[in-house]
Amino acid sequence: MAGSLLWPTEVPGDLRPPDLDPRAFFNQSDIEAAQSYELFTTINTILSTIVLVVVLALYARHGERFTRESAAGRIGTGMLLGMLGFAFVWFAQLPFGLVQLWWDRRHDVSEVGYLDHVVTSWLSLGSVFLFVCVAIAIVMALARPFRDQWWIPGTAAFVGLALLFAFVAPYLVPDQSPLRNGRLDRAAHELARKQGVSDIPVKVEDVDEFTDEPNAFAVGLGPTRRVILWNTLLDPPFSDREVRVVIAHELGHHSRNHIWKSFGWFALLAAPMALLVAFATRGRGGIYEARAVPLALFVVIVLQIGVSPLQNVISRRLESEADWVALETARDPKAQREVFRDLTRTSVTDPDPPSWTVALFGTHPTAMHRIEMAEAWRVRNWP
Amino acid sequence: MNGRAVRLTVLDPSLERNRWTVGFRLILAIPHFLWLAGWFSLATMVAIANWIATLIQGTPSPMLHRFLAAYVRYAAHVAAYLTLAADPFPGFTGRPGSYAIEVEIPEPGPQNRWVTGFRLLLALPAILLADALVGFGSTAAGGGYTSAGLASTAGFLGWFYCLAQGRMAEGLRNAAVYGIGYTAQVYGYLFFFTQRYPNSDPATYEFANVYRADPIRLPVSDDLHRSRLTSFFRLLLGIPHLVWLLLWGIAVLFAVIANWVATLIRGTSPQGLHNFLAAYLRYQTHVYAFLQLVANPFPGFAGEPGSYPVDVEIDGPGRQNRWVTGFRLFLAIPALLVSSALTTAAFLAAIYSWFHGLFRGQVPRGLRNLGAYQLRYQAQTYAYLYLLTSKYPYSGPSAGWQMTLTPEPQPPQPQQT
Repeated sequence: MAGSLLWPTEVPGDLRPPDLDPRAFFNQSDIEAAQSYELFTTINTILSTIVLVVVLALYARHGERFTRESAAGRIGTGMLLGMLGFAFVWFAQLPFGLVQLWWDRRHDVSEVGYLDHVVTSWLSLGSVFLFVCVAIAIVMALARPFRDQWWIPGTAAFVGLALLFAFVAPYLVPDQSPLRNGRLDRAAHELARKQGVSDIPVKVEDVDEFTDEPNAFAVGLGPTRRVILWNTLLDPPFSDREVRVVIAHELGHHSRNHIWKSFGWFALLAAPMALLVAFATRGRGGIYEARAVPLALFVVIVLQIGVSPLQNVISRRLESEADWVALETARDPKAQREVFRDLTRTSVTDPDPPSWTVALFGTHPTAMHRIEMAEAWRVRNWP
Repeated sequence: MNGRAVRLTVLDPSLERNRWTVGFRLILAIPHFLWLAGWFSLATMVAIANWIATLIQGTPSPMLHRFLAAYVRYAAHVAAYLTLAADPFPGFTGRPGSYAIEVEIPEPGPQNRWVTGFRLLLALPAILLADALVGFGSTAAGGGYTSAGLASTAGFLGWFYCLAQGRMAEGLRNAAVYGIGYTAQVYGYLFFFTQRYPNSDPATYEFANVYRADPIRLPVSDDLHRSRLTSFFRLLLGIPHLVWLLLWGIAVLFAVIANWVATLIRGTSPQGLHNFLAAYLRYQTHVYAFLQLVANPFPGFAGEPGSYPVDVEIDGPGRQNRWVTGFRLFLAIPALLVSSALTTAAFLAAIYSWFHGLFRGQVPRGLRNLGAYQLRYQAQTYAYLYLLTSKYPYSGPSAGWQMTLTPEPQPPQPQQT
């Protein structure tokens, strides 16, 4: 029932986008280059996922032995086992990350050095460790009074934590500055006013030191809401009109409460997942026991992989709605077509990938679907 | 192969110091500075000649060995005089047995040519540690104390103490001797007196093997084994602890203020506050021991007594002098200076231990014990600052921290790292 409340979007149910030929918008050579790039990336991702599952399966089986490396109590030992699990994952994923980096550099998608990548990923493991410790501390602490029922308050605690994180997330984004382009700034205010979210600022994050890829995103909750544009989006080939459409899209996420809706979906999925973790770890004394942590990690990751196609469907629906809101407020389908074409080119993305890759990895609609929606809006409003 | 160690012994343990010579010590030492600088220049050239001779012959030249041995002894005498580790004005010849601090140097013996060839490179970690234990420039320039190494800090603080008391504080004297002794070992390794790598273990000094019944003790039951996996990720694994330490530390700040006020009024620390601060101090020591690889297991988050191989034993609250309590923060400054100097050395020891632990699966006893020495002193300093005790921290190495150490067969010579 809750799902049926979260499911509807403003995209008209009777919208019939035309079936356009990608070759009308992209060079054949660009399409082939993008397909080759994505095929390699997809294979690498699938292999790394398989290795991830195998490593965690082995850790679930043998990880218990690391309890002897701990002088901490029940919860502290659980934390150690959780962190070590992710340490093994880091080791196992490192070669795939380096291979992907090599591939990205080859296609000018990334400028990060190999050593930088290793050091950065090692350091970012610190924040993963911290998150894992907080999660395990909550779960194992709740397992004391609630025993096998820990998943009920546990889900509520995780949703609460995720909300807190979403609230503070805007302050964690580095190198932010105001939008200095006067025309764009005025356009952003006008779009925000149209969408009824005139209090949301637009910021620019400097990322050109690390990547050429363009990006933008909506972050924050309530008073911390903002739209952040990567500064790579403000340079050619993107025109001001195209950036205006991107801002309208990101504001659409805020005006249509997509972050809240995402939490709603998260809560709906987290509860059964936590129940399954509780069920799976019963054989090892439940999550109350530190030795159940490696198995719990394995179950959580496998479940996450399992539900990712469903999460992708939800994500694509929300992105489609943001696209539609952008069309309704920016009313510039030509710029919308252009921006998706330019984004696809600069990111070396296949504009019309096979449906199975969309199902497995597609968090956003394909470029062709987005262009087709813009075309459908144009026909519908300016026949 | 020449495996005998270079050793520093205290021939005259007297702590009495003449206030006049202490007051003018730096000026009195000027002739020694000049002489040492000249000798250092010559010793550098002789050392190079000795290196070539050792590479060719496989053993150092006896004549060059004698010259360099006299230089090292003389440098140690001057360092001891400057840091107030000894009182008499030293002679200028570095003659054996001529001074209160004696450097025992073995006779020249055969040396491995490979180790000889790369000696300077191999000695680099030890040279850095010697600088931290004595003071910047000490090993390179033969006695220019320009930054806060352990021995130079001990000398600096000892100067005030001697002027006031007419005697040197035993802890400061022993800390200085420990630093000078390690530097003498580094010279010994560099100048081919021995093949044994310098040993940072404070327990090799006689004065460190006297048990002290301090109110803050550091029992060590660690077995030197280190998990390679947790060693590799040690810093990251410590992050949750550092966050918890920070959060707990905020509460501790207020608890210390409350404890200060309560101790000023009552003359003794309230049991509840004492226990709270003691738990934090234990926890802090457990975490630092884990991060510095002084111990292996992942510590708990509660600072429970007896829960970790490197623990802190803290006596219950006792009577405290109200004047000493009132000015505690200022009185703790010298201890904080010594603690800071020791921390620099322990930081280097932690880095070396990390590499050693990663490749060998265990840490050298010398580095572990240096880390334990620093942790013990730091715990005593914070305990003094938190008003857990009114006894001033003991700055010298002592056996207090290793009394529960699993006994290990002792070699006839001090063990090396």
